[in-house]
Amino acid sequence: MSEAEPLLRLSQVGHFFGSRLIFKGVSCTLDQGQIMLVAGPNGAGKSTLLKVMAGLLEPTAGVVTRQVAHKNMAFMGHQTFVYAAMTALANLEFWNALYGRGLKEKAIIDLLDRVGLKGFALELAGTFSRGMAQRLSLARVLLIEPELIFLDEPATGLDRASQAILHGELTMARQRGAGIVWISHDLERDLGQADMLLYLNRGQMSYYGPGADFDLEEQA
Amino acid sequence: MIRSTLTIAGKDLRLAFAGGQGPVQAILLGLLLVFLFSLSAAPGDLFSSQQGMAIFWLCSSFAVVLIFSLLFRFEEENDTATALILSPAPIQSLWLGKTLAGAILLGLCQIFFFLAAVVFLSLDVQGSPALLLLMIVSVDVGLCVLGGLMGAMGHGQGAKDTLLTIILFPLQVPLLLGGIRIGTEVLYGALAVDVAQWFGLILAFDAVFSGAALFLFSHVFRGE
Repeated sequence: MSEAEPLLRLSQVGHFFGSRLIFKGVSCTLDQGQIMLVAGPNGAGKSTLLKVMAGLLEPTAGVVTRQVAHKNMAFMGHQTFVYAAMTALANLEFWNALYGRGLKEKAIIDLLDRVGLKGFALELAGTFSRGMAQRLSLARVLLIEPELIFLDEPATGLDRASQAILHGELTMARQRGAGIVWISHDLERDLGQADMLLYLNRGQMSYYGPGADFDLEEQA
Repeated sequence: MIRSTLTIAGKDLRLAFAGGQGPVQAILLGLLLVFLFSLSAAPGDLFSSQQGMAIFWLCSSFAVVLIFSLLFRFEEENDTATALILSPAPIQSLWLGKTLAGAILLGLCQIFFFLAAVVFLSLDVQGSPALLLLMIVSVDVGLCVLGGLMGAMGHGQGAKDTLLTIILFPLQVPLLLGGIRIGTEVLYGALAVDVAQWFGLILAFDAVFSGAALFLFSHVFRGE
């Protein structure tokens, strides 16, 4: 991969569910160490766009190019991707094995420590609160050490402490060179952290550019 | 692929036994069926080997539906299916892992079904137990290959169990006929010529549906 090559490139991407247009004409790029915020009103197609970017959905139109292998991508969404009947440690051990990361148990415990769950390593994930389950989900993302991270409103339901952990870890991932696509419902809170903003409205990309240049009041 | 398959199968078995739900429901249903069928004979009357094998495979057929419904439900609770699709593991290893876990759970259930059939239906193995085992394994492979594919088809659908039942049972018929036919001969201890042909049918079924499942699973599971 050359230095100048973006991690992710979308060219005139569109998506339909049946005959219903979700969005069209979306073009953007994401470079290493960049955070791109995806925003827009409810039903604008943000989550669908994220799934298209991550390769979970094939776009109906346009081209998506990813310069990152599957094993180096991570997705964190509303759902926690947690097996409730397994302990926190067993959950991470499973993803560790599936991704072939080869981490020892101590390293996995350290990951749980980073998200504040070390004391709950041997407890069933099904007994966790929403915030704790989401932190376990974050530990799964950290375990992968991804180069490309897709986040679908990851802070939903998190308390301030959990949000601080999330933002701290994302900052570290960004400093490591990871590219982050982040769907946010709270532009006022998150816009300051974004390098780029992609705003979807009525099936169109109504804004794509530096987050700092976006006029929040005009859009509202 | 083998490593991913074993990892997924191990995780599924762990989950199946962790909840205490696992194969218990399938075993209890099978035992109930064997017991109820045992009441259909007058006291002192013996069941024929064919009747015994038919009841054994009926229990197994219901067990397949329950087991694969459970295995795919694991991926629905917190949408772990999405994380599995995004993982570097080949999507076919998900099918293979679930098929392997399903086969192990089915085999466990069948131990109970067979013992119950021996006790309540007075089944007696006069032929080769090795041949009987070979037949059961051959039929189980087909049942689980189908179960894995159909489970993926019903994944995320409200009417999953209905869908699984409606499509799965008719497709199982050749396997079940072969299982009953060969099982009857083995239990009698007198092998007829057509046993080889039934084995051929079962193995061909296993091969055809394994190939189809390897090709189709990705599309079916992703809902494309």
